[in-house]
Amino acid sequence: MSLNARLLALLIGAGLPLASLAETPAPERDLNTIAIGMFLVFVMISLGITFWAARRTRSTSDFLAAGGRISGFQNGLAITGDWVSSAALMGIAALIYSTGFDGLIYSVVPFGAWPLMMFLMADRLRNLGKYTIADIVSVRFSRIPMRTLISLSSLVFVVGYLIVQMVGAGTLISNLFGIDYTAAQVIIGILIVLYVAFGGMIATTYVQLVKAVLLLSGASFICFAALFHFDWSVDGLYASAISNHPQGMKIMQPGGLLTDPISAFSCGLMLMLGGAAMPHVLMRFFTVPDARQARLSVFYAASFIGYFYLLTFIIGYAAIAMVMKDPRFLDANGLITGGANMAAIHLSEAVGGSFFLGFISAVAFATIVAVVAGLTIAGASAISHDLYANIFRHGKATDHQVVKVSRISAVCLGAFGVVLGIAFKDQNIAYMITIPFTVSSSVFFPILFLSMYWRGLTTRGAVAGGAVGLGLGVILLFLGPTIWGEILGHGEGIFPYKYPALFTIIASFFTMIVVSKLDDSPRARRERAEFDDQFVRSQTGVGAEAPAQH
Amino acid sequence: MQHIYRKIQADPRFHELEHKRGRFGWTLAVIVLANCFWYMGATAFFPDLAFARFWGEPIAEGGSTTWGIVIGFVQTVVFILLVGLYIYRANTEFDTLKDAIVADARRAAGE
Repeated sequence: MSLNARLLALLIGAGLPLASLAETPAPERDLNTIAIGMFLVFVMISLGITFWAARRTRSTSDFLAAGGRISGFQNGLAITGDWVSSAALMGIAALIYSTGFDGLIYSVVPFGAWPLMMFLMADRLRNLGKYTIADIVSVRFSRIPMRTLISLSSLVFVVGYLIVQMVGAGTLISNLFGIDYTAAQVIIGILIVLYVAFGGMIATTYVQLVKAVLLLSGASFICFAALFHFDWSVDGLYASAISNHPQGMKIMQPGGLLTDPISAFSCGLMLMLGGAAMPHVLMRFFTVPDARQARLSVFYAASFIGYFYLLTFIIGYAAIAMVMKDPRFLDANGLITGGANMAAIHLSEAVGGSFFLGFISAVAFATIVAVVAGLTIAGASAISHDLYANIFRHGKATDHQVVKVSRISAVCLGAFGVVLGIAFKDQNIAYMITIPFTVSSSVFFPILFLSMYWRGLTTRGAVAGGAVGLGLGVILLFLGPTIWGEILGHGEGIFPYKYPALFTIIASFFTMIVVSKLDDSPRARRERAEFDDQFVRSQTGVGAEAPAQH
Repeated sequence: MQHIYRKIQADPRFHELEHKRGRFGWTLAVIVLANCFWYMGATAFFPDLAFARFWGEPIAEGGSTTWGIVIGFVQTVVFILLVGLYIYRANTEFDTLKDAIVADARRAAGE
């Protein structure tokens, strides 16, 4: 797989490098008892949280938005959990291990999504939303068409993301823990159904929070233990990496390893804009009481995520310095066992021995479970709140019914995830991560952005543009080098770029603007007139959803 | 709710708030976007052009750390600080003004 294919998305905490593990099977490991023991501790703690959360989860607001009672600090950590997975740790380390400096681009550029989200969107999102991103646009647009488009796109997003995570997880877990792939799928499925169906957003948030703390501690330990090894000399660590790596000094320099600049640019744009509009992250904005706490969430999330990315500046090079020449981690050909994706894992063993390796393996498992739980509740909210309560029942469903449908949806999504994970075993599904990011950058981002910033947007324009973004994204992905070229065996794609986002984002914005301009229906005029009210609400929070009272 | 929205709309301070906050937010956003594109450009597109070439030079004679590493590191730290700067101004200046506007509008609307 090319660098470009790999880079991408993982970076964002998605599952790409994990997925590419499937292509380079590591030797079967013996049952890793330390890792399993530590993971069991995590399971006990998280199930305890779920039990506690289940007793506090009564209303729809509790279930889908934790009653609006999560603090900015807690929510910031939970967002960090949604964003940064062990896949990001392993993926970025792998990219730096192979390509040096150019790998860092995927630490630095996706992080730009956070400041942008803060400056342009955070307050407004909280002031306009309720449980899902469809609520934000339902403030002034026609409910049924908008909700249908957004909830279906959310499900495409969730399922695409889920497949990548499940397949990556199964492969990683069977490698690290020495347990069977199918068993790993079933364990993940059961855990997320327990968390989400019983504990709802409260349990999901706290599980995410625990996981974020574990992952940040683990990554910090790797980083500082590696620095300790080099007497706290960063320069010494880099010098040792340079002497180990066949590319020498080049690993410290921008090298133009990204052979297709248009694809790289498209990918960067997709990560930045798509990353700022992911439904499972945005729905976290509705778990805090007000816009002030929403801003605090972003501040804490940006600080933790930024800190994590800063650690990768050391961890990636430490892997070169400490793993690349250590015979314990090399196969008969002198290559790293398990592929570059295992660089961070091997590094954890190099700096902390088998006990710490067990800890990191357990964290990796916990991380995947937490990310999948976040996706599951995003999918369940799209089904129960958007499709069932607002479209099917026209807003007349009772609280009790909505919670029940949410729970059933969570069970179904969990089961569906396991089935997909097993069905896609051993297949190259890395390209699939492009699907959710294309959807969020070309459907959610343009609609959210224009609905908040442009008076002229109408339902017709938004739906047309969203449909174009979604449809064109699917078509261009299908005709691109990965599916048409590699998987269907035509050699190269009819559409030459791996990441269609650059084109689909432009097409989506363009269609929305043109169709809205041409739309002169009474409904369109009313929607434009309502912009003023929506604007005041988004700026002041007057009329925004208040936290649930108990 | 509508009548409160009207009152707020009619308050010149609301437009002042909007103007200030908008300009501040967009200024910071442009800084962030420009930095991200500069970084992508230097790494992916034009590593040989003048604005990127020095990235490969060590910061100290005979050292291993290059300017590119320092720039990436500093950029990430600066992004965090910009987020902090925004939240500081939003929580003090903007929120104070906003609360005053909303309180006056509610009072005028007789709530």
